[in-house]
Amino acid sequence: MKFVKFIVSLIAALGLTLLLNGPLGSIPALGRLFSPFEGFWQNGEDKTTLPPANLQLEGVNDEVNIVFDDNRVPHVFAKNDHDVYFAQGYLVARDRLWQMEFYTLAASGRLSEVVGERALELDRYNRRMGMADAAKKVYENGKTNKIFDEVLNAYSAGVNAYIKQLKYKDLPVEYKIIGYQPEEWSPYKTILMMMNMRNVLNGGSDDFRMTNALSKYGMDVVKDLFPDYPSNESPIIPTGTKWNFTPVSVPQTPAQITANLSTSESVAFNIPSHSPEIGSNNWAVGGEKSATGLPILANDPHLQLTLPSIWYQMQLSTPTMNVYGACLPGAPGVVIGFNKDVAWGVTNVGSDVMDFYQIKFKNNSKKEYWYNGAWKPTTMRVEEFVVKGKKEPLKDTVYSTHHGPIVYNIASEKNLNQNVPVSHAMRWVALEKDGTDLMAFYYLNRAKNYDDYRKALTYYIAPAQNFIFASNSNDIAITPNGKLPLKWKEQGKFIMDGSNPAHDWQGWIPTEQNPTVKNPSRGFVSSANQFSADPTYPYYLGWKFAPSERAIRINERLEKMQKATIDSLRMLQNDNFNVEARRILPELIKILNTDASLKNSSAYQTLAKWNMKNDANEIGATIFERWVREIRYAIWEDDFSMKNDKSPMNYPSRDRTWELIVKQPTAQWFDNTTTKDKHETMQDIVKSSFQASIDSLTKKFGPMNASTWAWTNVKSTDINHLGRLAGFGRQDIPNGGGSGIVNATTELNGPSWRMVVQLDKGWPKAYGLYPGGQSGNPASHFYDNMIDKWAKGELNELLFMKSKDEKSSRISATMTILKK
Amino acid sequence: MNYIIILIISAIAQYFLPWWVIAPISFLIGAWKSASALKAYAAAAGAIATLWLGYATFLNMSNDGIMVQKIGGLFSENLKFLKNMPITPTFLAIMTIIGSQVAGLSATAGYHFKALFK
Repeated sequence: MKFVKFIVSLIAALGLTLLLNGPLGSIPALGRLFSPFEGFWQNGEDKTTLPPANLQLEGVNDEVNIVFDDNRVPHVFAKNDHDVYFAQGYLVARDRLWQMEFYTLAASGRLSEVVGERALELDRYNRRMGMADAAKKVYENGKTNKIFDEVLNAYSAGVNAYIKQLKYKDLPVEYKIIGYQPEEWSPYKTILMMMNMRNVLNGGSDDFRMTNALSKYGMDVVKDLFPDYPSNESPIIPTGTKWNFTPVSVPQTPAQITANLSTSESVAFNIPSHSPEIGSNNWAVGGEKSATGLPILANDPHLQLTLPSIWYQMQLSTPTMNVYGACLPGAPGVVIGFNKDVAWGVTNVGSDVMDFYQIKFKNNSKKEYWYNGAWKPTTMRVEEFVVKGKKEPLKDTVYSTHHGPIVYNIASEKNLNQNVPVSHAMRWVALEKDGTDLMAFYYLNRAKNYDDYRKALTYYIAPAQNFIFASNSNDIAITPNGKLPLKWKEQGKFIMDGSNPAHDWQGWIPTEQNPTVKNPSRGFVSSANQFSADPTYPYYLGWKFAPSERAIRINERLEKMQKATIDSLRMLQNDNFNVEARRILPELIKILNTDASLKNSSAYQTLAKWNMKNDANEIGATIFERWVREIRYAIWEDDFSMKNDKSPMNYPSRDRTWELIVKQPTAQWFDNTTTKDKHETMQDIVKSSFQASIDSLTKKFGPMNASTWAWTNVKSTDINHLGRLAGFGRQDIPNGGGSGIVNATTELNGPSWRMVVQLDKGWPKAYGLYPGGQSGNPASHFYDNMIDKWAKGELNELLFMKSKDEKSSRISATMTILKK
Repeated sequence: MNYIIILIISAIAQYFLPWWVIAPISFLIGAWKSASALKAYAAAAGAIATLWLGYATFLNMSNDGIMVQKIGGLFSENLKFLKNMPITPTFLAIMTIIGSQVAGLSATAGYHFKALFK
C-alpha cells in the first residue's frame, strides 16, 4: 500500500513537471514560460532600466563609448572601424535579436524548423527561389574585398558577443513563446537579411499573367491595354535631360518574343505581382528653393509595417566617419541617413528584373533541357527541410538551368503524367552572386561630396534603388541605380523561350549609364517608384512601374515651393491629396448626375462636396476609394480575371482605365460578358459600381455615418507583429493616406521611416521617426513609442552628436565597452 | 518550518537552475521531515505560491504590467474564454497553480518515499 501511494504520487509529480516542461501542441512549455525566475515575467522592462554602464567584451580592440538618448537611440563612438561595427552588431542584437534572426530564417526557407509545418509551403517557395544558396556565394565572392570582409565579421562578432551572454531568462520573449534558441550569427546571415530585402523589393512578376492575357487576346489588345509607358507620367529623370553617354548596343529584338504559347497556355503560378503599396518617396530641394540656401532632403520608404520595426536608428562615429540614420537589423552601417556634409535616401526602382523561361525537358528525369539546338544538362540540388514536430526531414529536389532555378508551377505539378513536362526557369537579379552591396552604404556613410556619392553607387547590385543625394556644397542628385539587365524592348514582359539564346539576358547596362541627374534646372530631384526615365532613355527597363500619382503630386508641389524649410518637406510627406480623384472624379460625377436617384443620395452629396483629400475623417475618400476599386472590378474581372485559378491575368492599369473611360467610352471592355442578353455601357458600369460600393460599405459599416464611414476607420491601418503573434501589434491606427497618396499609408503598408535633413556648412539639422520603437521587446516602453507621433505626421528632432563629450539634456545613459 | 526552508532554498536555486528545480527541492524537503502527506503538500505548495506570486507581482509592477497584458492578448487569441477575464489576476493565478502544484505534488511524493522506509 505504501508503495502504491509512493508510485502514484511520484507519477503525479513527475508527470505534471514533465508535462509543463515541454510544449503541448501549439501551447509552449508552460512551466518555464510562467516561472517568474525564467519566463515572460523576466522580459518586463522597467521604464527607468538603464543599460549596463560598463561592459567587458572579447572582440573589441579599444574602448567604445555609447551614449543613449531619450528615444533610446545609441550613439556609438569608437576609435576604429572594427570596433564601431562590432558595437553596432552588439547593440542591434541587444534590441532586435529575435527579429534579425527571423528574417534570415525566412530568407533561407527555415521557418518550419521553429514554427512547424504551417511554414512549409513558404519555406519550399523560398528554397526554390534559391536565396540561401546565392547568399553563400555572394559572401564567398565578396570576401576578397578586405574591407567588406572585415566589416561583416566585426558586426557578426558583436552580435555573437551578445548572444553568448544570454541565458534562457534573458532571451527575447518570442524565443520563449515559440520555443527555440538563437543561433550564432555570421556574415552569411547578414547577406541573407539583404536577400530578404531583394525579395521584398524585387521579388514580383507579372510574366505569367501577361502571358495568359496574350494567349487569350493576342498582341494588339495587349499592346493597347498594357502599354509600355503610361499616358500620365512624371518620370524621375526630368523629361528633356540630356543623356551624357554613348549607349552600348542593345541586343536585337528576336522575331518571336515569347515562349511557344500553345504549350504554356493557362499557367497558374504563385509568384505574386509586385505590391504597388511597397514603394517609397524621396526628394531633395536645392539651395535656390530652400530658406537656408542649402539643400534639404526627405525620404520615406514604404514597406509592410511591423513590430518590431524594420528600421533601427543609430549614430556611428569613428575618427574617419560620423553618420546618423536608419539601419536594417542584421546589416552593418547606415542605409538611409546623413553625415556632416551629405544626406542620402532610397526608394525602390520597379524595373523588371525577374523573368521566366519556358523549359522543355528531354524526359521526366529533368536531367537535360533543350537549348540552342542541343540537350543541355541541368544541375540538381536536394533541399532538406527539418520540420518541427516531424521526425524525418522532408526533401525537395530543385533543378537549375543556366537561366536559374526551376520554380514550381501548379499546372505541371498536378499534371505529372505529361510525357515531357513543361516547366519554368527563373532569371532573377537577386541571385546575382557578385558584388558587395553593403559597400555602397559603407562609402555613403563616409561621403563628403557628389563624387563620393557616385563612387559609392558603383558597388550596388540589388534591389535597384533610386539613390537620392544632397550635399552642403549645394549639390543635389538622383540615380536609379543597381545592376540592370541590358534588354531588348519588352524582353521579359511575357514568359520567354528557354531554348532560344536570343531570349537570354545578354549583358548589363553599364553602371555609369544608369539614369542620373545632377542639379536639374527645376531645382529639385525626386522619386516615387515611377518610371525612371521617359522613353528617350536608350535602354528598356520594364513596362510597368508604380502608378504615377505620388510622383505627379510631389513634383507639382516641389515645383511651386519656394524658401522651403524642414517643415514644408515634412508637410509634403503627409500630403493626402488624391491626384486620381482630381483626374477622374469630375468625369465620374457627371455620369452619376444623369441618374436622379443616385444624385439625391447622401453618398453622392458627400462625394460632390469632398475636398479630394484622403484625410483621416473624410467620408468622400472612403466612397471614392471603394468606388474606383469597384469600377475596375466591374470593367475588367469578366475579361481579365485576377481570380481565375487556372489562368489568372492582371487588370489594365488605373491610368489606362481612366484613359479608356474618357477617350474610348464605347470600348468593348465595358460590356459585362457574363450577362448574356444585356449590353452594358460605360455609364451603366460607372453607375452600378457606385451603387455596389455604397451597398457593400453599408453592409459592413451600417448606414453612412461620420465615424464608421471615416476613411481611417474603413482603411484601418494595422501594425502587426512580425511573427504574427496576436496581441503584440497595434491595430486601427488613426491616420489618412492611401496607396496613390504621397502619405502612402494603407491597411498594412506605409512610410516605415520618415526623415528630413537640412544640410548646413556647419552642422546639419535632421528630423525623423518610424512607426515603432528602438526596442524589439514587446514589454518595453520603447517598443512602439513613436507610433502615435508618426500617425499624426510629426517628426522627432534627431540628436546628431559632434563627440561623445557633447552635453545634451536628451542624454539618458552612457555605456562603455572595454576590451576583456 | 518546511515552508520557510523550501521558500529560501528555491529562491536561491532558481537563480541558477531551471524552473523544475522546485520539484526535487520539494521532494527532498518533503521526504526529510513532514508530519503528514497533507502537511508536506501544503508547505511546498504554499512556499512556491508565495515565492512565485511575490516575485512575479514585483516584476509585473516594475513593468507597469505591459508584459502580462501582451501575453494575455496572445493566449486569449487561442483560448477564447480568457477574453472575458481580467488578464493580470488570471495569469498570476495560472502561474501560481503551475508552481504550487508541481511543488506540492513533489513534496507529497517525497513524503511517501520516506514512508516506504518507516
